[in-house]
Amino acid sequence: MTYLFIILYAITLIYFALSERVKKFVYLLSVQGFILFGIVFFSLHKIEIFDFIFILLETILVKSIVVPLFLNKIRKHNKLKREHEPSVPVFYSIIVVVISLIISFLLSNNLNSNQIHTKYFTVAFASILFGVYFIIIHKNIFSHVVGYLIIENGTFLLSLAVGSTMPMMVNLAILLDVLMGVLVLGVFINHIGDTFKSIEIDQLTKLKD
Amino acid sequence: MIFAFIILSLILSISVFFSKNTVVNYIALSIFSLSLITISIYSYLHIDQVDSLYFKFDSLGVLMMSVLSLISIPSFYHSHLYNKRKLDNNNKKSLYYAALIMFITAMTSAYFTVNFALLWVSIEATSLFVSILIFHSRTKNAMEATWKYLFISSVGLAIAFIGILFLSIVASENGVTDLNFTNLINAAQNMDTVWVKVAFVLMLTGFSVKISIFPLYAVAIDAKTMVASPVNALMSTALVNVGFVGIYRIFVIVSKTSALEWAQHILMIVGIISIFITAIQLTRVKRIKRLLAFSSMEHMGLVVIGLAVGGIGYYAAILHLIFHSLVKAGLFFQLGSIRNFFKCIWIKDTGNYFKINPLGAIAFILGIISILAIPPSGLFVSELMIFKALFAAKYYFIAIFVLILLSVIIYTISKRTFHLLYSDVSEDQVNEEIKSNTYETISQFVLFGLVIYLGINPPVFFTDLINSAIAILN
Repeated sequence: MTYLFIILYAITLIYFALSERVKKFVYLLSVQGFILFGIVFFSLHKIEIFDFIFILLETILVKSIVVPLFLNKIRKHNKLKREHEPSVPVFYSIIVVVISLIISFLLSNNLNSNQIHTKYFTVAFASILFGVYFIIIHKNIFSHVVGYLIIENGTFLLSLAVGSTMPMMVNLAILLDVLMGVLVLGVFINHIGDTFKSIEIDQLTKLKD
Repeated sequence: MIFAFIILSLILSISVFFSKNTVVNYIALSIFSLSLITISIYSYLHIDQVDSLYFKFDSLGVLMMSVLSLISIPSFYHSHLYNKRKLDNNNKKSLYYAALIMFITAMTSAYFTVNFALLWVSIEATSLFVSILIFHSRTKNAMEATWKYLFISSVGLAIAFIGILFLSIVASENGVTDLNFTNLINAAQNMDTVWVKVAFVLMLTGFSVKISIFPLYAVAIDAKTMVASPVNALMSTALVNVGFVGIYRIFVIVSKTSALEWAQHILMIVGIISIFITAIQLTRVKRIKRLLAFSSMEHMGLVVIGLAVGGIGYYAAILHLIFHSLVKAGLFFQLGSIRNFFKCIWIKDTGNYFKINPLGAIAFILGIISILAIPPSGLFVSELMIFKALFAAKYYFIAIFVLILLSVIIYTISKRTFHLLYSDVSEDQVNEEIKSNTYETISQFVLFGLVIYLGINPPVFFTDLINSAIAILN
């Protein structure tokens, strides 16, 4: 069952490369949240029950409901309908995402550490690589936040891959930090949208001597 | 104790934010200043003791905390002057002070924590709170600086988090599951060096936003160009120290493995590139704040080189870090007052400061002498030690190359600052009605005096603290 969800997660990455509409990015992030919920639900049994419930709530509430709803609000506030002129054609993006999947597949098979769960590692590493690529190819700051969230989902999977169990307090603090970060970034997108009348990154080049 | 401190600052910050009342602000800041002094003294008296489960008062933390308290308290006074001059409304002021309190609390937590995950959490929290402070002036440029800083430091810290996860792989292979520094150091000898190396590079990259060295320095420089001077005094010093603490913690673990030499080469390269970039960028700088921001980058480059050389370099690195913090904070406090006398922020539109405000100009020139590491400044002592270590370790070419770069930097900084101090300025660029405030320069003379004193005649407890902070490396 876990494999099914991992493959679904890899498919969402390809979908990210395919889509041009900003609305679809938000949907895909929400779908990724549900997939992460599924992965956690079917694979993490050995940990303590409170930690388990916490991580389930984190994925279902925060990753798949709160953050996408918030992003959708920002999208409407800034009247974003379509990604403006992606700097790289979709075709190349698909090639990149496939290559990043292959690289992480080969890499994870070459790691001979029994501490790493290879199945998560493949898709986690691909997600991080693709997140960075996603930030680079997009020109508006809303998509940059989407890219950042793809990286965050990748690190979440990576923490499953290395099987690191952090204390409840620390887990809570990490979640709170990331959530606050996204909220503050979102508020700034609105500020920038209102002040500059656009959220293209080309607007933000005044600060140099 | 630390836990109680965090709760107290949370209450103070919330009450400042919601009351929107000037009296409440000042009462809260006074209580907070007292608690900062208390925690510095308490941590020194309870050195090497574990506190609140995830914190420990180690020597490096105590040193950094003392520096933070020493800078924070004058920073509150200068913030008061800054807000008075800007004539901001109470809403903005309350947000400013609430964010400032939480920013300082997050840095305190970063200094004392013994857990890598919590260190990460604290550093991420500093970015969030400082971004509110960068945005304080609400201008277009401030918005751009805030966005870039917040976004790049979030991505950078995500990279550092990946490093922490990789470290946890080798840690759990050796039976350490809690990412506690002490346990990791004990287990370090048997760790697989490949993973340790990967973790080191990722964490160095992530924390470089905070310490403002190569590779992710650019956003920190932009942010420091826009942020208010009293906050800048903390951001260019205490926050930079937070970045150093992060890198130092992983460096200590690496030093127990066979990857030490490799890591030192990486640090050396990073340090030299940082100083090289500074030397080039400084020739194009047009604002004093940016000038000082790049000067921080130069000094952090030297600190990193100190770590890279080892031996006496470790001692010099920490000494340099402390002296730099004190001097740079003083310079930024003075810059707040300089900004007040002129209508423009550009260096070309300022001048004749010695005539306009003689006392402030004396403080400024003293600060510039100190930051350029000209005797009697304490920075001269620490820089001399770093070069001594470089020559002792037979890095002749690197030492000479860095010395040439430093000469270029000294020339550019002096040229720019002498323009401010002595050159003619047209009268329409000067705010004639501003009267100089004598009390405003006290903090600078105290800080610069302290650096000279600590450089020439360091007290025994001070050297002992530094020695015990680096004892684990030798």
